[in-house]
Amino acid sequence: MLIDEIKQALANLAVIEKKEVKTETAAPAPAEGETDQADAGKIVTTEVIEEPALHQTDYAQKGYHLDITVAPDDVVSAAKQLLKLGFFIEAVTGVDWIKENQLEVVYDYNHWDECCRVVVRTFLDREKPEVPTISEVYSGANWHERETHDFFGISFLGHPDLSPFLLPEDADYHPLLKDFKA
Amino acid sequence: MEKEELQPAIIQFAPLDKLLSLGRANSLWPMTFGLACCAIEMMAAGASRFDLSRFGAEVFRPSPRQCDVMIVAGTITKKMAPAVKTLYDQMPEPKWVIAMGNCAISGGPFAYEGQYAIVEGADQFLNVDVYIPGCPPRPEALIEGILELEEKITGSRRWPRVECG
Amino acid sequence: MTLEVVDKSLETFVLNLGPQHPATHGVLRVKLTMDGEYIVHAEPVLGYIHRMHEKMGENRTWAQYMPNTARMDYLAALSYNHGYAAAVERAMGIEVPERAEYIRCITVELNRIASHLLWFGAFVLDLGGFTPLLYAFDDREQILDLLEAITGARLTFCYFRFGGLYNDIDDDFITGTRAFIKRLRSRMPMYHDLVTNNIILIKRLKEIGPISQEMARRYGATGPVLRGSGVNFDVRKHEPYSVYPEFDFDIPVYSEGDSMARYMVRMDEIEQSMRIVEQGLDKLPEGPIMAEKVPKILKPPKGDYYCAVEAARGSFGIRLVSDGTNTPYRLKLRSPTFSNLSLFSEACHGMIMADALALMGTLDLVIPEIDR
Repeated sequence: MLIDEIKQALANLAVIEKKEVKTETAAPAPAEGETDQADAGKIVTTEVIEEPALHQTDYAQKGYHLDITVAPDDVVSAAKQLLKLGFFIEAVTGVDWIKENQLEVVYDYNHWDECCRVVVRTFLDREKPEVPTISEVYSGANWHERETHDFFGISFLGHPDLSPFLLPEDADYHPLLKDFKA
Repeated sequence: MEKEELQPAIIQFAPLDKLLSLGRANSLWPMTFGLACCAIEMMAAGASRFDLSRFGAEVFRPSPRQCDVMIVAGTITKKMAPAVKTLYDQMPEPKWVIAMGNCAISGGPFAYEGQYAIVEGADQFLNVDVYIPGCPPRPEALIEGILELEEKITGSRRWPRVECG
Repeated sequence: MTLEVVDKSLETFVLNLGPQHPATHGVLRVKLTMDGEYIVHAEPVLGYIHRMHEKMGENRTWAQYMPNTARMDYLAALSYNHGYAAAVERAMGIEVPERAEYIRCITVELNRIASHLLWFGAFVLDLGGFTPLLYAFDDREQILDLLEAITGARLTFCYFRFGGLYNDIDDDFITGTRAFIKRLRSRMPMYHDLVTNNIILIKRLKEIGPISQEMARRYGATGPVLRGSGVNFDVRKHEPYSVYPEFDFDIPVYSEGDSMARYMVRMDEIEQSMRIVEQGLDKLPEGPIMAEKVPKILKPPKGDYYCAVEAARGSFGIRLVSDGTNTPYRLKLRSPTFSNLSLFSEACHGMIMADALALMGTLDLVIPEIDR
């Protein structure tokens, strides 16, 4: 199955993410006289587990099959793995998470033979957003990255031409940032 | 020295002016300047069902040097505005401008607070003669706009006005 | 015919194609570096109709954004409505009643036929033939009459709502559509006789503008551009949505990869869309046209969602990022012609100008969709 192949190929590229898992266990019976009703009968323990950020998602709910978060330097190797298995690039875009002070770059891939949508994400520092370009691997990403640079100011290292694309030639603003004022 | 009085012109050109304006109004040559969605309704107005050539405006010329009227059909962005002005300046006199659609009149559905890309209306930098509202306006509305322009040029309207009943 | 550019020191000049040009179908500017009649380098310059659809998505509520989707690709506006409505319905978990899904498919396919007819007329106009435009527009007007009676609009439809439609179809629409299909079926042989079998068109399109499968994969081309290069990829069959699995239709695929193949794909798609409309009208169930429990103020759960539909020009995708409020946090519109046009620079290298325009015509460009 294609999805298992690509999962295996990308497994070592995923970053490790921390997840909080809450478990409830039954508490011992309360002593005579205590009537603390609030958490009678349960103890909640929180433990932090670490797992790779590679998830097979529910297609009917989300619209894509595989979701992987990689480090910014690994986007090119992920793209190479995907091209080897015959995926094509659908879109490259960004999301501005101003509260977490991060910019996210999202790559959408799809395949002609089997319906398998792979989403590759990477998170960048909002003050200095830099990520290597994948336009050597996928030529179509050239325009997508140029547009993302226009809208968010993300620098794609190694891109042949990051001049303004959809904005006027002398534009020096990045409109889709959340703190942009016209 | 006493002021000389201007003699009235020996040859009266008024009937000739009227004839010239009648000729101009009934053979307006529009420029193919569709920017966005309204361009399709402009093409539909020039095509078989609505047939703009009945009113003389059949010959859509791509070159501004050969046109009388520029129908600004679509949204004008700040990147496009210098090109629009250049095309307008290249048209020979007498020339007219029709602003077709809400975007060319006032920015249309794309004018919101905090917008950064569009020019809110063609009349910000052009002299507009006729405004045709709609998003997009029907081809009949464009025909009505051409007839309004004819009325502006000649001073009277030759075609009956369609009354809503 | 192509030229092998071996000597880079040839004298070249820069020719500007657009932004105002009769053959660019909107405001596209292409900076061409020419060696005589041959193109050495072509660089499309976009942005002349950039109307900030994605920024507007963050400033409008979910329902207020629906008219915007129609103004992106105005020739096939209903499929864009469909993509957006389906994306939000997927996020909210709303189920659309069956009658509404059937009507959605029927109207989207009628819109696809109208879009292909307009493409056909405008494309042959670019090549120099004026007559097919008038015939194609006449047929297209009939479709627009039918759609106007139920939706109220001729071009920029805003017919779909989250959970269904707002207006039902009536018997006039059904009889009118059946009559229209019968009429168009009898006219298609005329189009093929007049245009497709015309020796001038064949000479201008055969073996012109080849696009290989490997190039299409690297650039992410979809739609008739991809199907003309031998790849059987159509979102309606590949990732079925709505009630397309109920219909029996073929996906036309031609393997030559030249402009003639892309032309034939679109002409055959008109026939296949007519089949879908007929089957849809035959199988149309009774029932409500709007889902029952759709909240007045929509607040999709936090997260990001993706939805793709097959528009007339390729695979249109919407990526929604919701933060649980009543306006989108980020709305990314993946437009098919953006990816299709990105391969123009590589594909037209070494061609003469007239062939490059034929290639650009077969890419079926709608510039506001590229610039968004």
